[in-house]
Amino acid sequence: MDRPAAGASYQRFPRVRIRELRDDYAKFELRDTDASIANAVRRVMIAEVPTVAIDLVEIEVNSSVLNDEFIAHRLGLIPLTSAAAMQMRFSRDCDACDGDGSCEYCSVEFLLSARATDSDQTLEVTANDLRSADPKVCPVDQARAYQQALNADYDTNAGEQRGILIVKLRRGQELRLRAIARKGIGKDHAKWSPAATVTFMYEPDIRINEELMDTLTLDEKRSWVESSPTKVFHLDPITKQVTVCDAEAYTYDDEVIKKAEAMGKPGLVEINAKEDSFIFTVETTGAITAYELIMNAIMVLRQKLDAVRLQDDDSDLGELGAHLGGP
Amino acid sequence: MDKATKSASPSGAKEGDYAALRELFRPHVESFDYFLDAGLEEMLSSIRPMEIKDPNSSTILKNILHALNSFFFLFFPFAWNCFAHKGHVLPPMRDGRLGVPLYPQESKLCHLRDADPHKLVFHGEESTEMGGYFICGGMERLIRILILQKRNYPMGMVRGSFLKRGPGYTDKAVVIRCVHTDQSSVTIKLYYLQNGSARIGFWLGGREFLLPVGIVLKALIDTSDREIFTSLTCCYSDKYGRGKGVVKSLEYLVCADIDYDLPNAGKYFRSVMEGFQHYDYETVAKAVLKDYIFVHLENNHDKFNLLIFMLQKLYAIVDQTASPDNPDALQFQEALLPGHLITIFLKDRLQDWLRKSKRLIIEEATKNKSFDLNNALEVRKFLTKHTTSVGRAIESMIKIGKVNSQSGLDLPQRDGMTIHAERLNFHRYISHFRSVHRGAAFAKMRTTSVRKLLPEIEETVNFLRNLKLLAHSGIPEDLEVGYVPLSLGGAYPGLYLFTNPARFVRPVKNLFSVPGGKQSIELIGPFEQAFMEIRCPDGGDGGRKEMFPASHEEIHPTAILSVVANLTPWSDHNQSPRNMYQCQMAKQTMGFCGQALKFRTDVKAFHLQTPQTPIVRTATYNKYCMDEFPSGTNAIVAVLSYTGYDMEDAMILNKSAVDRGMFRGHIYQASYVSLFTECIDLSKKNRENVPEIFAKSVLSRDTSTAIDSDGLPRLGQTVHPNEQYYSVYNRLTGTIRPVKLKGSEPAYIDYVAVNGASSKGDFQKANIRLRRVRNPIIGDKFSSRHGQKGVCSQLWPDIDMPFSANTGMRPDLIINPHAFPSRMTIAMLLESMAAKAGSLHGKFIDATPFSSSVKKEGKHPRKPDSIVDELGPMLASYGFDYHGTEILYSGFFGTEMECAIFIGPVYYQRLRHMVSDKFQVRTTGRIDQVTRQPIGGRKHGGGIRFGEMERDALLAHGSSYLLHDRLHSCSDYHIADVCSLCGSLLTATVIRSDTQKKDKREMLGVPTVRPAKNLVCHACKTSKGMETVAMPYVFRYLAAELAAMNIKLELRLSNKSELPPSQGS
Repeated sequence: MDRPAAGASYQRFPRVRIRELRDDYAKFELRDTDASIANAVRRVMIAEVPTVAIDLVEIEVNSSVLNDEFIAHRLGLIPLTSAAAMQMRFSRDCDACDGDGSCEYCSVEFLLSARATDSDQTLEVTANDLRSADPKVCPVDQARAYQQALNADYDTNAGEQRGILIVKLRRGQELRLRAIARKGIGKDHAKWSPAATVTFMYEPDIRINEELMDTLTLDEKRSWVESSPTKVFHLDPITKQVTVCDAEAYTYDDEVIKKAEAMGKPGLVEINAKEDSFIFTVETTGAITAYELIMNAIMVLRQKLDAVRLQDDDSDLGELGAHLGGP
Repeated sequence: MDKATKSASPSGAKEGDYAALRELFRPHVESFDYFLDAGLEEMLSSIRPMEIKDPNSSTILKNILHALNSFFFLFFPFAWNCFAHKGHVLPPMRDGRLGVPLYPQESKLCHLRDADPHKLVFHGEESTEMGGYFICGGMERLIRILILQKRNYPMGMVRGSFLKRGPGYTDKAVVIRCVHTDQSSVTIKLYYLQNGSARIGFWLGGREFLLPVGIVLKALIDTSDREIFTSLTCCYSDKYGRGKGVVKSLEYLVCADIDYDLPNAGKYFRSVMEGFQHYDYETVAKAVLKDYIFVHLENNHDKFNLLIFMLQKLYAIVDQTASPDNPDALQFQEALLPGHLITIFLKDRLQDWLRKSKRLIIEEATKNKSFDLNNALEVRKFLTKHTTSVGRAIESMIKIGKVNSQSGLDLPQRDGMTIHAERLNFHRYISHFRSVHRGAAFAKMRTTSVRKLLPEIEETVNFLRNLKLLAHSGIPEDLEVGYVPLSLGGAYPGLYLFTNPARFVRPVKNLFSVPGGKQSIELIGPFEQAFMEIRCPDGGDGGRKEMFPASHEEIHPTAILSVVANLTPWSDHNQSPRNMYQCQMAKQTMGFCGQALKFRTDVKAFHLQTPQTPIVRTATYNKYCMDEFPSGTNAIVAVLSYTGYDMEDAMILNKSAVDRGMFRGHIYQASYVSLFTECIDLSKKNRENVPEIFAKSVLSRDTSTAIDSDGLPRLGQTVHPNEQYYSVYNRLTGTIRPVKLKGSEPAYIDYVAVNGASSKGDFQKANIRLRRVRNPIIGDKFSSRHGQKGVCSQLWPDIDMPFSANTGMRPDLIINPHAFPSRMTIAMLLESMAAKAGSLHGKFIDATPFSSSVKKEGKHPRKPDSIVDELGPMLASYGFDYHGTEILYSGFFGTEMECAIFIGPVYYQRLRHMVSDKFQVRTTGRIDQVTRQPIGGRKHGGGIRFGEMERDALLAHGSSYLLHDRLHSCSDYHIADVCSLCGSLLTATVIRSDTQKKDKREMLGVPTVRPAKNLVCHACKTSKGMETVAMPYVFRYLAAELAAMNIKLELRLSNKSELPPSQGS
């Protein structure tokens, strides 16, 4: 591999085009960059974008059928609105407190108190029963219900927002607890991961050899188009032309190439992955919006790169520097 | 859509329909019903009346039949005690399970008999509770079903041990196990002698009696030699001249024993027959014939005919015109049912009790002149006071599984009659009740211990055998018609009809259907089965030609599988040993052991926090309501070699999946603390004097500990190792003794139950249940349902796991592809594909094995050839690859992987073997008192033995430092003082250093420096030669042991550097 002359810049200018953006879903293209960057963004989104989740639980009364650890674990997995998480402190870095929930900079207190008194009705304790000390941080279902109420968009299915079930109580059973939510990242525990799914694919570059295609009969064309498990190609019934209708549906499964070979027409289609363009799909748990997730991920990534750059300035790269600088 | 939702409902059967489950436990429950309904009365009436002769009046009191009535009431309080009385005590005891309620669960006297699920749940039981076991000392114990010889069927046997009966005996005999109507049995052996004669052998009073067959024949009925001869030879036709040999032997048979007659024989029995001491020999002999010879027959003519038949069979075996029967064949076996065992054991105990009572009464009557035998009340009072309870004997039999009886009850074994019904998971629990034990003798006989060759002897061989319990009147449904056709050198021919209880039966379809009616289900037995033509319902003829058309058909091919084996999906696609492994592993799975866990105090219970129902399941899964006790999780499994951490059956778990609750579990450990038994009873009457109670020190105001004010732990409190969790107050000494938590991991107090308080309100018995968290960690064991077990090697970060570009899914679990080629568990691959298709489609997939071999009439004329052809299009219709693979991207680099990866949900089980319970490590710790070497055993904080072979390994490597470290420095390193003059290791004596000097130093406040030891050899009286030598302490111990035997061990010390190397010490 040729080493470029010193001083040459490798800087590329990645482009992002957002195709779809909803509260908890985003689809965007990332072009003019490498797989390493794309994967770094993916990894940061899953594991390093901070959110707030219940971390400490103090159980006062628990006469439910589930044991204390189980309930604490379930509470931890409830997604909380974490728009403010970036501004919060990690409780390990917080100098205002020792992380016991007495400090507003690093923790949010929740209270839950439920007791089944109804005769034969089992009481369902859900995330909606959690009472937050900070209106900015609350279970996502509560936030959504509040939002709907605010929009006065009171449609019929608003009542179905029951929240995430924590435990069911029978008559006489009681659950009373205090919980403290803290900021954290998905690397430490999956409950802090804001991403439900983050994935990217290489944009495929599909080229049909039209000359070869024309040699196929209609039936052959049809069976070839149908050999792909996903709908990538389209056979126009009128013009009898095979076109690429949805290139991104292609899963690199090579089924069509195998089919073409089986039909004795190798090279019927040529499919290559574009090395520098990626299509991202992002889904969030609702803790933060997809937009926030992407932006925060980039911010976190930058902070990490800054940390490396600062080290570079101090010429304290150590082994890494030696590795990069070569012999 | 509609169809999908319909099939998605978890079970085809109505919810709460546990009939099929109950059917599995029927032999246990219904045999107790037999015991209560009929067996008890039958047994009592068959006990031979006991006569007591009053030594005072010397009148023989034949109060026996009459006494039977009074005795009936006499012992019944005892006998009944354990069956009925305590049963009623049960409800309040449910919570703690502390008492000794002893009665078969769900038997007729159980208060939960026929209870609906709601009532069962109300009483703190499982809604599926099937009963069939005893609650005994808080433990659930069941009586094993044991294999016995088929009753009332004469079996031809050849056994070397028959030769040992005495000179002249051969190894051939015909053996019949005769069973009385009260289920007690006497085995009669008809031995063939070298001189052509035969002897009858049976056990009585601890020894075997051998009677010449001639006198038994003559004693049974009034007969002549000619009659015996004709009846014996009636089965031979003169054409073959076969009768001659028999005629010759008959001369011996009848004539050789001519000097024996009935009264003479009776002479030998009078001493051993209980209660016949005062009768003449003839009466004794008749009683012997009645009680020991062919007890299943009433009529002497029948007995005579049977004996003739046995003789004919014996001679046929000797002639080799018939082959001996195989005692290991199911054909000649039946089951010992729990109710029958209780019946015969109770009979034995009652007879024993009668004997003892008689002796006591006679003793009492000789001592105490006023003791009136006619006064029933007085006798009863006396016996209540002086005899032990019969119920106690049965209780202890159930508790320890030992049948304590002089006669042995004609059973093949005395130990291990009962076992603990472990509720580790439902598979294990069911298999306890379904297993038929082959007998302790057989279990010992297993010669090979190669793991792969071991058959599952007692657990899965229990093919779906239904045990029919009671014969019905008229023509019974389960009549077994065993027609053994005439053959030369084959089985001895005959037509045998069996209607008796305790036979194995199983249902098959009868093809000779009643005109107009449907094909009927017939119950067939193992004896007739051997001579029947039963075909598999695959539509083929099974290789039968038109000569022998099939008369019966299996209901489903899965009938060959046990309950547990039936739960393996597509087991017909697996290599068979893998299915065996799965059967073993299913019973070690950590799952839902019970819904009523909260009310139970099992010593150890495993509990999976978030179990799931399998997507791919067999028909049996629904049939037996396994959803009540799920035992695993549908994990997304990727088959690839990813990090190197999945080598050699290791598996990588996704850390985030574990964070979200996959395979999380708990161990519940209950301990029963009774301070009551620890007390020394000073005065028996005053039970309040017991010195120890639960209490907390009044002085302690500390509320931070786990101990509450009553001395018992607080609920929900975390207790750390070596932390106190309950405290005991001793009233005599006034001291408080706190009890610390053992082990090396924290526990939570889950449940505390107090059993009974004294009048002052003090607690002495408590049940404390601890809960320990067992989240998956490196080293825990997991397995799929196909015998593919593995150990978790890493909890791998989610972001580093490979991911699918389409769905963004990361696998929960990664296994290595090398797990498949040699093991050939194709069903696991099928399961992965099927579960993927099923979860996309939103329905459960039926994976019943052999279902492709069942012919379906008119349905799907062109069925897909293989399951893959069925599943592939399903996957493809959802845009997935036809073969269940997906393109994955590396989690590290974001690059596409070279080849497509097989990925899909597989039902994984977590096995109960967890590192936290197993790891063993120590640096220093407790040592053995004698040898000063580290102790062994994990429980005591000991180390793993560094043994001889390990030593050899280090020697081979030449790593002497390590060797020295292991075997000396870290073991019993010792510096001994040796006298180099006399070479003795033991004579070093310490001379006390100047005490004044020491005192002075102390007074001055100067730190006391330990003065150099002043050692003197006791033998040489000098300190000149004293040297210090490092050696293992055991060596010194050896010297001391040798000295005790008057052997002196002498060491020659030398400084190596001063000596030429050749001389060495």
